[in-house]
Amino acid sequence: MRLLAWLAAAVAIAPLIGVVAAAFGEGRADIAASDLIRYALTSVALAVMVALATAVLGSVSAWLVVMHRFPGRSVFAWALALPLAAPAFALAYGYADLFDVAGDLRTWMRAVPGIDWGPQMRSLPGAAFVLSMAFYPYVYLTVRAALVNQSSQAIEAARSLGCSPTQALFRVGLPLLRPALAAGVALAVMETLADFGAVQFLSVQTLTTGVVRSWLVYGSLESAARLALPLLAAAAVLLWIERLSRKGRTDEAARARWRPIQPTLLKGGRGVMAFAFCLGLLTLGLLLPVGWLAFNAIDIDPDWGRLARAAGHSLGLGLGGAVATVILATCLALSAERMPVTARISSLGYATPGAVMAIGLLAPASLVWQGVPGAVSGLGVGLMLLIYAYAARLMAAALEPVEAGLTRVTPSMVAAARTLGRGETGAALSVRLPIASGALLTATLVVFIDVVKELPATLILRPFNVDTLAVIADNYARDERLPNAGWPSLMIVALTLPAVIWLTRKITASRPGDTHGHA
Amino acid sequence: MQMRTKLILSIALAAFVAACGQGTSTPADKAEAGVVNLYTARHYDSDRALYDRFTEQTGIRVNIIEGNADQLIARMGSEGSASPADVFITADAGALWRAQNANLLQPTSSATLNDAIPANLRDPQGRWFGLNRRARIIAYDSTKVQPSEIDTYEDIASPRFRGRLCVRSADSVYNLSLVGALIEAWGPEKTAEWTRGVVANMARPPEGGDRDQIRAVNAGVCEIALTNSYYFIRMANGEDAADRAVTEKVKLAFPSLAGQGAHINVSGGGVAANAPNRENGVRLLEFLASPEAQTAVSAGNNEFPGNPAVPVPAPTNAYADFTAHPMSVATYGPRQAKAQSLMSAAGWR
Repeated sequence: MRLLAWLAAAVAIAPLIGVVAAAFGEGRADIAASDLIRYALTSVALAVMVALATAVLGSVSAWLVVMHRFPGRSVFAWALALPLAAPAFALAYGYADLFDVAGDLRTWMRAVPGIDWGPQMRSLPGAAFVLSMAFYPYVYLTVRAALVNQSSQAIEAARSLGCSPTQALFRVGLPLLRPALAAGVALAVMETLADFGAVQFLSVQTLTTGVVRSWLVYGSLESAARLALPLLAAAAVLLWIERLSRKGRTDEAARARWRPIQPTLLKGGRGVMAFAFCLGLLTLGLLLPVGWLAFNAIDIDPDWGRLARAAGHSLGLGLGGAVATVILATCLALSAERMPVTARISSLGYATPGAVMAIGLLAPASLVWQGVPGAVSGLGVGLMLLIYAYAARLMAAALEPVEAGLTRVTPSMVAAARTLGRGETGAALSVRLPIASGALLTATLVVFIDVVKELPATLILRPFNVDTLAVIADNYARDERLPNAGWPSLMIVALTLPAVIWLTRKITASRPGDTHGHA
Repeated sequence: MQMRTKLILSIALAAFVAACGQGTSTPADKAEAGVVNLYTARHYDSDRALYDRFTEQTGIRVNIIEGNADQLIARMGSEGSASPADVFITADAGALWRAQNANLLQPTSSATLNDAIPANLRDPQGRWFGLNRRARIIAYDSTKVQPSEIDTYEDIASPRFRGRLCVRSADSVYNLSLVGALIEAWGPEKTAEWTRGVVANMARPPEGGDRDQIRAVNAGVCEIALTNSYYFIRMANGEDAADRAVTEKVKLAFPSLAGQGAHINVSGGGVAANAPNRENGVRLLEFLASPEAQTAVSAGNNEFPGNPAVPVPAPTNAYADFTAHPMSVATYGPRQAKAQSLMSAAGWR
């Protein structure tokens, strides 16, 4: 068991060691300090804007859906998480094209109503908007899970002590939600840092741009790796925040006397406003950009055979990557009490920018390619490498729910199993894992969704003649053939949508004391 | 729940195994003849049809990894001497130079290739060959700009076009190669001056690709834009009615560099340094330089044939009558880093 945990840690940490090792090399890129400062400030600004926007949108929508009754609430409860099904780069394609100054919409606006204005998507605020739309569901899901699990008693006590509903929210509700809010925002910001496709497409230059420039234009892998170090540090800080936010999050007390929240009925105008807010969020996060891509793709008659094969590859890699990652993450989680730091470092890949991760992944891949005869052209080895890369990138996404699920196993349960003669591994297999099975499924779905949307590692490591939907979409977008990128993007959404729906419905069903709910 | 989880996991595993097995063609051993492994940064559907044609003619199967040039270069570097790559193909002489500079390409002395491809379109040592040509030129609003106002590359930076120029980011290798060529023709001082003029002329911060610049001219954002020739030709002759309408108003001008013609670039390829199927790799390149392939690529992608003996097919032939600067495209790459520094210093993002 411990051996497997170390293996899992090694898998996840190897690319990071690759980056750090490269950073100590000799090479140098002639990038002006003023440019670097501008890149860094842009990265920070983007992260801050996404953090604020996702925090507000995610928690307001969760608060509306859990604490109130209004038209459409039961549908919004799960539908608001659906933007998770769409890759951020697909939203970027959709929005950039929709509001392009020379696009159909703006051209029509100039001609007919005579208005020459539209949001500038290819800009820092535009990128922050697109990423917020793509990532607010992380906050929505964590906050909603926390609200559902929270007993209504605290709020009721505040009310009986004379607080108005708003006061109760700000003085009691929000402080209680802070850990969930921090966790969700940390996830959204980590995804923001890791993104490259969407931000690059929207012409925003961040530290990742600096990494790519020094690596490729100046041919200096070393200086690229040095630029990557602050990004790794930022990732580490975010993970630490996320961890810290769970400290003391023992909902045992609340669970003991848990009573369901009595939702407030929103009447008339307020109900309509709540409805409009949720519908607006869903529209901006999914329906509008994806609908626009679909609208543009209608005229295109793609090579269906190729797309179908790519869909097969995406599905297969998604499932394979998910299962492998969850197995490794489970081993790590089971040993996490004894090696907490290792478990944390293993999560770093999740917040590491794709371009940086590519540098790191090539180091271990290079060992395999050059060390194992026939490895470079073997399909099997190629797929193993890809799955390895997914595990390294997405370990945190699996570790998170698995660890949460395992916390439901109290030490006394394990002790009972040990008393009855089970070894450490035996206790894990017969007691801990069965109790956490729901969490394992959640983790598998989360990783599956992420793998199907994954781009940088797939692009750089995949074997001959293996294309995924994300790869094809990216190729078309790079050729400036956006309408052609529509179909593969839509197929990604179609592939991940069932998993997203399943995930979000599980949360609806989860209640304290319900052994099936682990979200 | 536990049973269900087990069931789902086993279905997942089965599906994965099935997906692994369905790989259409497993790459062959190094020893096996009849295969060529292609790493390509070109991903036009017409290119794929061409590889099928190559297999038809020679019986040599083409295994493909598509990607962008830089990722493929990084990957080949990591694979080192074990790399299965036989041929590397990408757009832009600057990108070909990056592969050459990383020691990923080997010299080829093929009489067929040397005869088909003019000396200024290939690496002097035969490490790569420019197969198709494109010009980096100007799209202009014909209602506001006279063709005589954009006769030279200097004109792009002239005060006449303050706030009236659209251009993409300095990250684009097309721009890096153009500025590299300017450094070669003018020297660094005049080029630095020119980049400052370009930045002063920008109608908006650089964004989007070449097609976006052409459309922006039509939308009135700017009066002139830098673009590669095939993007414009494709828009003028494509299926999209709106794009065709754009080219009613926006026209293409071929400015002259130092009085010797328009800046041209290539897309091309070379034999990989550790090619296990070297002979097949050379044959693929020779095929791509043949009149049949050159015509097909030009017809499918609106580039000009690299082989001057090949007549330019319609609709690209309507734009082929221009003077191309005779400068060797191999000079761009080594000036890339300098070009980026000059552009960056001028504020060209």
